[in-house]
Amino acid sequence: MEVFDRGNAPAGLTVTDNAGTRYAQKNFGDPNNIKLEFVPVPRSQEVDKLNVLMASGNAPDIVFTYDEGVAHKYMQQGGLTDVGSLIDQYGPNLKSYLGADTLAYGLWDNKQLSIPAKRAFTGMTSYMIRQDWLDKLGLAVPATTEETYQALKGFKDKQLGGQGTIPLGLALHEDEYIPLVMGLIKESPTEEDYYTKMQRLGVHEYPILFDGHKDAIRTLNQWYNEGLISPDFGLDKDQKVRKEGVSTGKVGMYSEQASQSFEGGDSGEQATLAKNVPGGTVTPVDPFTNDAGKHVKELNPPTGAYLMIPKTSKAAAQAVQYLDWLVQSNNLFYYKFNGPEGTGYQMQDGIPVQIKQSDIKPENNVFNSSDMTIISNGLELGSTDLNIKYLEQSYDPSYTARADAAFKLSITDAQPIHYFPKPIDAESKYAQVLKGKYEELLVKSIMAKPADFDKTYDDLFKQYMASGGSEIQKEREAAYKAMKP
Amino acid sequence: MSTGSYIRRFWQLYAMLLLPVSFFALFKYGPMYGVTIAFKDYNIFQGIWQSPWNGTETFREIFDMQTFKTALRNTFLLNFLDLAVSFPAPIILALMLNEVRQMRVKRVFQTVMYFPHFISWVIIGGLFLQIFATNSGIINQMLNHAGFQSIPFLSNKYWWLATYLVAGVWQSVGWGTIIYLAALTGINKELYEAAETDGAGRMKRMWHITLPGIRPTILMLLILAIGEMPRIGFERPFVLGNSMVSDFSEVLSTFVYKIGLQTGEFSIATAVGLFQSVIALVFLLGANTITRKFADQSIV
Repeated sequence: MEVFDRGNAPAGLTVTDNAGTRYAQKNFGDPNNIKLEFVPVPRSQEVDKLNVLMASGNAPDIVFTYDEGVAHKYMQQGGLTDVGSLIDQYGPNLKSYLGADTLAYGLWDNKQLSIPAKRAFTGMTSYMIRQDWLDKLGLAVPATTEETYQALKGFKDKQLGGQGTIPLGLALHEDEYIPLVMGLIKESPTEEDYYTKMQRLGVHEYPILFDGHKDAIRTLNQWYNEGLISPDFGLDKDQKVRKEGVSTGKVGMYSEQASQSFEGGDSGEQATLAKNVPGGTVTPVDPFTNDAGKHVKELNPPTGAYLMIPKTSKAAAQAVQYLDWLVQSNNLFYYKFNGPEGTGYQMQDGIPVQIKQSDIKPENNVFNSSDMTIISNGLELGSTDLNIKYLEQSYDPSYTARADAAFKLSITDAQPIHYFPKPIDAESKYAQVLKGKYEELLVKSIMAKPADFDKTYDDLFKQYMASGGSEIQKEREAAYKAMKP
Repeated sequence: MSTGSYIRRFWQLYAMLLLPVSFFALFKYGPMYGVTIAFKDYNIFQGIWQSPWNGTETFREIFDMQTFKTALRNTFLLNFLDLAVSFPAPIILALMLNEVRQMRVKRVFQTVMYFPHFISWVIIGGLFLQIFATNSGIINQMLNHAGFQSIPFLSNKYWWLATYLVAGVWQSVGWGTIIYLAALTGINKELYEAAETDGAGRMKRMWHITLPGIRPTILMLLILAIGEMPRIGFERPFVLGNSMVSDFSEVLSTFVYKIGLQTGEFSIATAVGLFQSVIALVFLLGANTITRKFADQSIV
């Protein structure tokens, strides 16, 4: 079993020998006569090290990577064990735990070449708006695109953040522009649209071929030219400028990873905003509606890391058995919450509350619990409600209600990624190049003068399609036909 | 003396050579074997040897890619402009420093101008964003207050070229003077004294003594710089570039990063690297031949 070494082991403990590894040996290894061995891989050189292990045939029986491109390469080049029948035989718990949606991500030509980890909460982004600004304008929290537009215009006209008010904060980051474009597309997409008109570039899908895509960008172009959008958003690749704008009270509305504003303790965005601007409050909002009145948005894929069993492994069946043991709820709970109840966590209102690391005795410390349960990304309490409830407890109590609303908005009317039984080759190949092209299209079209918009958009759209976009389109259409004859 | 007896006589010296030679063989020539994957359909599980040959298929593929062609053109464009602007800059600066009489002042200037060389491009990128951003940058805010229009230093592709070049000069000019200053110390002082006696002014002395004195150094660095034309550093275009100027900022190094590292197309990345090396060699030899012909000086 591969395990990440993040160099964060407390003194006297290692990632290959600690309470967690001993627990696994005692409860899984010993009864089955298996000697478990954990192979450390430095987190920062994950892919390099894995490539070397795989190429030399010395890889552990279970390896994993967060890098989808790498996983697809391994699948395509035939270095992995097909675990389909092994899961049927040895992994009943594993199969029911992951579910078909997640397992689909490990398919290649209908062969189960990888066991994708499960991401339990898939909410991606939510919008925040300045509640105090709305109050000043006498407006309710906007519920449609038109109301949102009026609110943004109000922020601008009254210069509520002083000179240089930015009604709609934006950075050139997929967490910010994808929700914006998706939200402004007017048509209601059909299932076929999702399969054939989306293009998956990296983790997220881009709605470039949707009929309403151009008009969505046109709306943004109009807003930009009315001064409603961050003027230099094209230069803000790491969201730094946008976040600074929120903290200093210049930004009226923005999107972010669900409820991120409430994280970060005293240096979080909401916390700094309240310090800088008396009464400065952000509240979750679902600002954009399509023709059917839906707030369409994307979800994160229901998966995270890709677990794989190399072809060179002689213990594939035992490897599946181990994962099957790992996902049984008592074992998963043991790892997620750092040991048995009492030493790792306390139950409160049906929610486990973790005990501080520093209060745990070394012999009980499962400090790398999330790496031990790489098969399950993030938390997992069995239901969305419990998960959200658990997430909230880490926030300042005054934020809880709003964090809760943000999490719920992030899954309202949200669409999961529509995944083919086999990854689209052209996407693996062109994703990075096309993502650059898409961002170019986005920035240049939005910043163009309204009179030049059509020409700018059409030119860049052509370039996008010529750089691999049309290949993806063809492959997706063919794959869709093959899937739904 | 025959070669054999020569080696026998000085065998200790030759033995000392063994270590560096084996270093080069092991770490410089050995890995070149990996270049073969540019001509193969590389499969990590089959290894370099077992992967099937595919001839020049990989090269045909990259030459069909529009993004590759743009990246290639931009690499030459940026490097050519860099050569035109950043190459003379340290020479001029070195000449100016050379005329400073006060040793202490000269030292201080030199040290201050070295500093940018030690700053990482990532940090320079951050600084430039703060200073030159179209609407929120310091310079444009000052311009706006003074009643002028903003200048799109980072978002218009032609202005961006200027910004890119300025950043390069600012970062490297001080460091670049070191070699010239070293060469300047080698010029015979008597020449200056003789010229002064003959009534040559400061400019005349610079033109007729200083410049010819460092000419060999200039030519050598020029040949090396031309040889580097097809290559380009990764950090500067990657950090300073953005999607508004990608017409110019996409270069071969960022292309290889996207294709090779982020997408895992090892064969393509290797092929691009090999292509760059071959062109670089041609440039280097070309520049070398030309300078040998016209200036009777060469490095190879």
